[in-house]
Amino acid sequence: MTYLSFLNCILRKEIATHTNLVVFGQNISAGSYLGGLTAGLSVPPESRIINTINAENSLVGFGFGLALSGTNAIFFMRQIDFLLLTTDQLVNTYNIIRNNPAGLPGSFTIMTTVIDQGYEGPQSSSNNLGDFCSLARIDAFTVTNKRDIEAIIPAQLVSPGFRIIAASPRLYKTDLLEPPLAYRSPTGNLFQYQEGNDTTIICFNLSFPYGYALAQAMQTKGLHPSLFSVNIPVPIKWNVILESVKKTKKLVIFDDSKSMNCSYYALLAEARLRFNLQKEIIITRHLGSDWLTPNSDQLEIDYQKVIKDIV
Amino acid sequence: MNMDKRSIAREVIRLRVQQMVVNEWYKAGRFKIPIHLGFGHEALAVAVSAVMGRGDWLFLTHRNIAYNLGREKSLKPFLDEYSLKPTGVAGGRFGSMNLIHPSRGILYTSSILANQFPVAVGSAFGFTVSDANGIAIVCGGDGAIEEGAFYESVLMAASIKAPILFLIENNEWSMHTSIRERRVDIDLKKLASSLGVLYVSLKGNNVFAYIQALARARKQILTSRAPLCIEVKVNTLGDWYDMKNPLYPQGKFVKYHTGASPSVMLSEEVVLQKNADDPLFVLGKLISEASVKKMAVQELAHIRKEMI
Repeated sequence: MTYLSFLNCILRKEIATHTNLVVFGQNISAGSYLGGLTAGLSVPPESRIINTINAENSLVGFGFGLALSGTNAIFFMRQIDFLLLTTDQLVNTYNIIRNNPAGLPGSFTIMTTVIDQGYEGPQSSSNNLGDFCSLARIDAFTVTNKRDIEAIIPAQLVSPGFRIIAASPRLYKTDLLEPPLAYRSPTGNLFQYQEGNDTTIICFNLSFPYGYALAQAMQTKGLHPSLFSVNIPVPIKWNVILESVKKTKKLVIFDDSKSMNCSYYALLAEARLRFNLQKEIIITRHLGSDWLTPNSDQLEIDYQKVIKDIV
Repeated sequence: MNMDKRSIAREVIRLRVQQMVVNEWYKAGRFKIPIHLGFGHEALAVAVSAVMGRGDWLFLTHRNIAYNLGREKSLKPFLDEYSLKPTGVAGGRFGSMNLIHPSRGILYTSSILANQFPVAVGSAFGFTVSDANGIAIVCGGDGAIEEGAFYESVLMAASIKAPILFLIENNEWSMHTSIRERRVDIDLKKLASSLGVLYVSLKGNNVFAYIQALARARKQILTSRAPLCIEVKVNTLGDWYDMKNPLYPQGKFVKYHTGASPSVMLSEEVVLQKNADDPLFVLGKLISEASVKKMAVQELAHIRKEMI
């Protein structure tokens, strides 16, 4: 089963169970169904699916308005670049709403994707979910494998309050990853997939598959890393990760974003401050003067070299 | 709506006198927050409150004081809110420009021009989804209709048939710039019509006529389950002239936008302008100037008692 078919299956299953729900977005039940993400969605008679006008900022306001009225809302947005059009509603409206102690009676979720395949040109250079979330301390979740999809979609898709969930089109056609789960934080913001003493691997944004590949390569060499994925960009409590770093003193960080303001900076600073690190390897994009031109977003990683560096 | 003419008149006067008290406190430096007074908006605010049904929701702008006072009789919770006290109408958490009062139907208020329109469309569509018998009323000004979010919201509301009233208060000014200084005319009737939305124009500050027109609009929206747009001509009162100087021998005209108005004094003379721009002047013509003055005196006495 592919990542996309599993994600679509869980979304269809979850959405079909909710009455008092409005599922909306541009072309969500037409054409390619957002690359297959929204294919086959159906809702009970009391709920609605709407192919909307092209008005991202207003559509985010529309979702907040529905949730204010007690109606649950899911806005399927093709990609997070479009969130740039919505900052007024994301910041101002959300701040006003959550300042009310009564909170948001309904649920509002923006289900979107981080364009991470590349070749889309300069307009798609915003690919760090955390950048959007830090604007207004918005809860956001990335989903990259069976475990986090199973944990996050049923718990967060329709639940009082507001959040953003982002999927990875780069993974759409790949086989679904099913890593064993060692630990999951109660809020779903941190997943640990392996427990080991040889190094600590932490994956940010949608980079989990890279970290998982490294962990598997290490195991074939008889090495046992701890493997984490940070699924919510802000705010993050690092305690579980720092406990691991305290043991391993070795750190490998993956971040597949192009941001100048990455979430891992804070973790790295704290780890350096608290521990005498023996090794730190950061695998991220090294963008030169061509960062605006269309090119691949795939990280090219020599895992054997990384392992050699760690050891 | 279950109000006799005298009660309606008393409401218009109450809103004027209560705002005059806020203005005095403002002059005395008792507020740290910015407040946009709504002198001249009283007739419309009373009419909106009068026609709102039990389940209706109101979405407001930064100039929301008249509507908020219209939905809550007592002044003290507002003075406390503006003073950021926990005893304020919203617990001192919202101040003025974003003041909400959900238990009185004021669900959301935005200080960002046009931000409130799409939120209101969403909540209005909530009535459709839940098959409830209510409408959303969203206020905005002639500045807000310049924003893209206004067009998007009317288009969205028309497309999904959301039961919503777009209430556009056209006071001709965006801060200190008049319409003719900043843009071409917007023919709102044509704009609404192009999207298949009914349009009604109101002017004259006759609170009784406003109530009738708004009640008709509400009924139309509930029947059609579709949006409707009303444009109301208002004049936000409280302008003044700066001190005379060689450049401005008569003093420079300052259009009231926010803060205390130095030209408004708390007194039993509640009429600020002797023409149709002032709802209190119009009210005097409708029920007699003596009645307006008498009720103003009573309202002042009531406020003094409340404050003690």
